[in-house]
Amino acid sequence: MKLLFHKLRLPLIAGLLVVTAAFAVQAQDPKIQTGSLDHLAAKASQTVDVNVDGRLMKMAAKLLSDKDVEEKEIKELVAGIKGIYVRRFEFEADGQYSAADVESIRSQLRGPSWSRMVNVTSKKDGGLEVYLSFLGEQVNGLAVLATDDREFTVVNIVGPIDLEKLNKLEGQFGVPELGIESTKAKPKNDK
Amino acid sequence: MKTVRIRALALLSFAVLLQVEVVQAKGDDFKSVVKLIEQFYGVKHQGIPFLAKAGMKVATTAARIKGGTAKRIAEAGSVKVAVFEDQTFDGEFTRFRTTLNASLNQTWSPLIQALSATSEEQIYIFVREAGDKFNVLVITIEQREGTVVQVTLSPKNLVLLMKDPEGTGKSITEEATIVDQE
Repeated sequence: MKLLFHKLRLPLIAGLLVVTAAFAVQAQDPKIQTGSLDHLAAKASQTVDVNVDGRLMKMAAKLLSDKDVEEKEIKELVAGIKGIYVRRFEFEADGQYSAADVESIRSQLRGPSWSRMVNVTSKKDGGLEVYLSFLGEQVNGLAVLATDDREFTVVNIVGPIDLEKLNKLEGQFGVPELGIESTKAKPKNDK
Repeated sequence: MKTVRIRALALLSFAVLLQVEVVQAKGDDFKSVVKLIEQFYGVKHQGIPFLAKAGMKVATTAARIKGGTAKRIAEAGSVKVAVFEDQTFDGEFTRFRTTLNASLNQTWSPLIQALSATSEEQIYIFVREAGDKFNVLVITIEQREGTVVQVTLSPKNLVLLMKDPEGTGKSITEEATIVDQE
């Protein structure tokens, strides 16, 4: 048994290091996991999933012209953004999604890199929570949770983004019209 | 020593086979998706290659889409279309989505997936690189009809698609199936 442990010691340590490193990277990754919401598609009257990943974003931005005004504007808007991910569910009746469903997303936003923007509201009815993820001083991600009796939306933007940019993205790249308004765009860590 | 050589050869063959399979999958995804829909829903498609080729020859012609006009989106001669008309699409759409994603996730990126349980409509848009352009696969399934369209888009039109995935996806399908029929 001792011999076996001795033989396996190095691979075990190496494995442990790899797992730890993977967790550390994941903890800083502003990409939210939304797989826990998959089951809602069967209950929802409308389900929309948008995945504009970094590869697509980068390639499109690279190929856009600086001479064309419209293309230039889009290029500037998406500059640095590594991905836009949206999951939207609409229901025909109240109470189709649970507090646990919301919590499965919210719990990820309690991580050390995330801060809730407390001064952001929506022109629309329902709840709106906006979170920014920081890597040092830099914003490296944004998450929006919009909840209504019959609607549940999660927007996750990976990369440098501010509220002004988010406003411009509303209605584009699969980001729904959230009606976001902010008094002062300063994050406050409420944890 | 012999065992090592045999293992190396076996691994090499497996790697080659795997590569061939991936390349084949990339080439035949349109057909695979059509077949997948046929098997899952027990339906049969009608191909309209002539219409698609004829429709896409003149890239600058304005297309009449739902009473209005729109710029052509797809690159000339790049369209593959399969239509399912007057057939029943019964079945769990969430299970269909899982099956579809599993069959395409190696070579395609899912851009948008919109499902409506009430009207039993499904729209799936997948994208993949094709040199300096992009292949786009649009799958729409309704209660009584379905469409599979594969087109090649320029980067500029890919941005159009990314900006308004649902709207542009519908336009691609309509362009491929309605254009130049009048």
